[in-house]
Amino acid sequence: MVYVKRNSLPFGIIQTPKETLEKWYHLMALGRALDERAPNYLKQAIGWSYHAPYAGHDGIQLAIGQIFDSKTDHLFPYYRDMLTAVSAGMTAEEIILNGISKATDPSSGGRHMSNHFAKAELNIHNVSSSTGNHTQQAAGVGRAFNRYKQKGVVISSQGESSVSEGYVYEAINGASNEKLPVIFVFQDNGYGISVPKEDQTANRKVANNFSGFKNLKIFHCNGKDVFDSMNTMLEAKEWVIQNQMPAIVQANCIRMHSHSNSDRHDLYRDKNELEYVQQADPFAKFRRILIRYNRLTEAEIAAIDERVKSEIKDAHRKAMAAPDPTPESIHQFIVPEPYIPQKFPTGEHSLKGEPKKLIEAINSTLKEEFRLNPDTYIWGQDVAHKEKGGIFNVTKGMQQEFGKARVFNGPIAEDYILGTANGMSRFSEKIRIVVEGAEFADYFWPAMEQYVDSSHDYWRSNGKFVPNITIRLASGGYIGGGLYHSQNIEGALATIPGVRIVYPSFADDAAGLLRTTIRSRGMTLFLEPKALYNAPKAATFVPDEFEVPFGKARVRRVGSDLSIITYGNTTHMCLEVAEILQKEHSISAEVIDIRSIIPLDEESILASVKKTSKALVVHEDKLFAGFGGEIAAIIAEKAFEHLDAPVMRVGSEFIPVGFNRILEGAILPNTQKILSAALRLGKF
Amino acid sequence: MKVALVYSHSAKKTSQVAEEIKKVAKWETLDTINVEEFDTKVLSTYDLLVLGAPTWFDGELPNYWDELIPAIEQLNLKKVKVAIFGNGDQVRYPENFGDAVGLLAEVFESAGAKVIGYTTTEGYKFESSKALRESKFCGLILDFENQHKKNEERILKWISSLV
Repeated sequence: MVYVKRNSLPFGIIQTPKETLEKWYHLMALGRALDERAPNYLKQAIGWSYHAPYAGHDGIQLAIGQIFDSKTDHLFPYYRDMLTAVSAGMTAEEIILNGISKATDPSSGGRHMSNHFAKAELNIHNVSSSTGNHTQQAAGVGRAFNRYKQKGVVISSQGESSVSEGYVYEAINGASNEKLPVIFVFQDNGYGISVPKEDQTANRKVANNFSGFKNLKIFHCNGKDVFDSMNTMLEAKEWVIQNQMPAIVQANCIRMHSHSNSDRHDLYRDKNELEYVQQADPFAKFRRILIRYNRLTEAEIAAIDERVKSEIKDAHRKAMAAPDPTPESIHQFIVPEPYIPQKFPTGEHSLKGEPKKLIEAINSTLKEEFRLNPDTYIWGQDVAHKEKGGIFNVTKGMQQEFGKARVFNGPIAEDYILGTANGMSRFSEKIRIVVEGAEFADYFWPAMEQYVDSSHDYWRSNGKFVPNITIRLASGGYIGGGLYHSQNIEGALATIPGVRIVYPSFADDAAGLLRTTIRSRGMTLFLEPKALYNAPKAATFVPDEFEVPFGKARVRRVGSDLSIITYGNTTHMCLEVAEILQKEHSISAEVIDIRSIIPLDEESILASVKKTSKALVVHEDKLFAGFGGEIAAIIAEKAFEHLDAPVMRVGSEFIPVGFNRILEGAILPNTQKILSAALRLGKF
Repeated sequence: MKVALVYSHSAKKTSQVAEEIKKVAKWETLDTINVEEFDTKVLSTYDLLVLGAPTWFDGELPNYWDELIPAIEQLNLKKVKVAIFGNGDQVRYPENFGDAVGLLAEVFESAGAKVIGYTTTEGYKFESSKALRESKFCGLILDFENQHKKNEERILKWISSLV
């Protein structure tokens, strides 16, 4: 490589204007003052119980913030990015408000952990503590930049150890493949808490692990040096914008202190090393060269130091006086208000016409909503390749009609599929995304990390961001699919707040719920009983623009002797059972299809139970710890005085679903098992 | 020939090498300069500069050299020869073995100096090094951690090549 003189680069101690150097010194001094002051809040039991000091990362963090332009760019900092946040525009007061978890903390209103700096108004994103998972969200914003021709960059920042996470690989692979304008910054201080980087990966410079990726440029810089960091970040940004491809900037830093205030680095770093990192202090270096090259005088520096002291004092005073969050506020921003159906407010109809299969109802609703809203997108594994549209062809014809920019395949990386949906949502509130989360619902588990993270977003950001995503999954058994093709996941996922879960069992409800889902803000898990896609019993007439509100059950058969509460595949079995009960046992059973698991229509369930005095809860998912336990508990608590019998339940065995049809039959609920339970209940 | 030995007096291993050089070197005048306390302008007054530069972290110059680079780039060192020695660790840092030697060589060359004192890579085992030029090191690299016993012989041979 040809040597380029430092004095001829855009930034250097000789050529950088004095006012810029003053600004940088001020930001660095302010950052250090906050960094050093943070532990005091914990010592005084005020807060900031998690603080990851950034000292030693000063160069690259200043540079990230200075290169970032909040008018055009988006920034995903990590928990050590205090100076990044300050340099990008957050004030000392805002940093302290976050640190001591005040209601006015712009990052999260005291909801998220301290040292997770964010400000939605500046496009500085609130990210998870699952470190490095925001790389996928950054790629998602990059995809939005691509689709909406945004002239800027997305900057994602993380420590070098978190690059070991598989989701980081997925993000960079995706950004490389899709040519997304993202800068992935790796701040390498050599440690993941106490784990030295040689225990993470073979390359000492982890960025070099990605050297075989196409459409990706890797930059290295000294993250301890202000000018090298500034020049590198500037070059990376210009390259990314010009080439519309991603870049990695690996910045070599040092960690001058422990990982956080719960860590003691003297337990694993020797005296020599601790002295060595102190000698390499980036802030002290910057101060020295300002004076050595006569760019600032000692007096000028002292004046800035005094100004910083005053700013910190003022910020502290204001932050301490700020209100704490109230206990009553906990229920705000869990799930945003949904779309309220206008034409079919109860989600029911009695219209007659040509029946449509469940799969056709979903397909046509998707197309109708995509025609209506140009800011809709769908992607997933297998969703769009010539005549094929998904493993079950649910999205057939969509790419042909809406184009590859809106309808496209994702890699076999479920976490990336969902993580980029989260990210793309962050670009604009008007965007509505549908993902086919996995080929089959039981393949969705690798996406759990982004699912859980996305479920938090609305609450965690204090209402400032919510991912607008519909997660479609082909769910359930009765197809002889065995493990990974025939299981249910809603029982496990219903334990996670922040996501709506719906599970229709008829074509019209599928169409109506899907329409409401796509039009709503927030995240909804839309489970499709794949055994019913083409089943005549699930086919119904679907009125034009049919809508079903969330949390509204549908009485599929009226009865007076017992209530059967169900959803999904078992709705049809329960209807068959009700028929048998009536014909052969003169028992009048009412069948309620809850349709929405979250929110749950307690009112309809309780009204039915109060009428019949007996309740049987049926679902395909596992009985033990299944969602039916929640329904049973609600009935027991809120309708106890109306019950003439214990609430009974039918569900699958607490066993994985076997592949052999004999095994599957023995494990899953069926009409006979439900009938037996109903008869036992009827005898009370 | 006017020669200066320039290194950080607080760098322990580098100072050990400097002491060994002083013992074996036969130059008439050999000034010893602490790189942390001097004016770079004096560099152009020497015929030969013997520079000590250990590699920091994953292939960086020490701060005390790094901070001088903007000043060195402004010098005219066309009449000056430089010979650089440094320390590296082939086992823990095989990707950046003795990088500082190569980095410092480039800086001085940018000011017009001629780098002398190239050495063989025989006897070393590493993956990459910025000091590597056409299968030779552009200076002397010592490995205190893994080949300490070879230091004396390597220093003697290197100094002989400079004289």
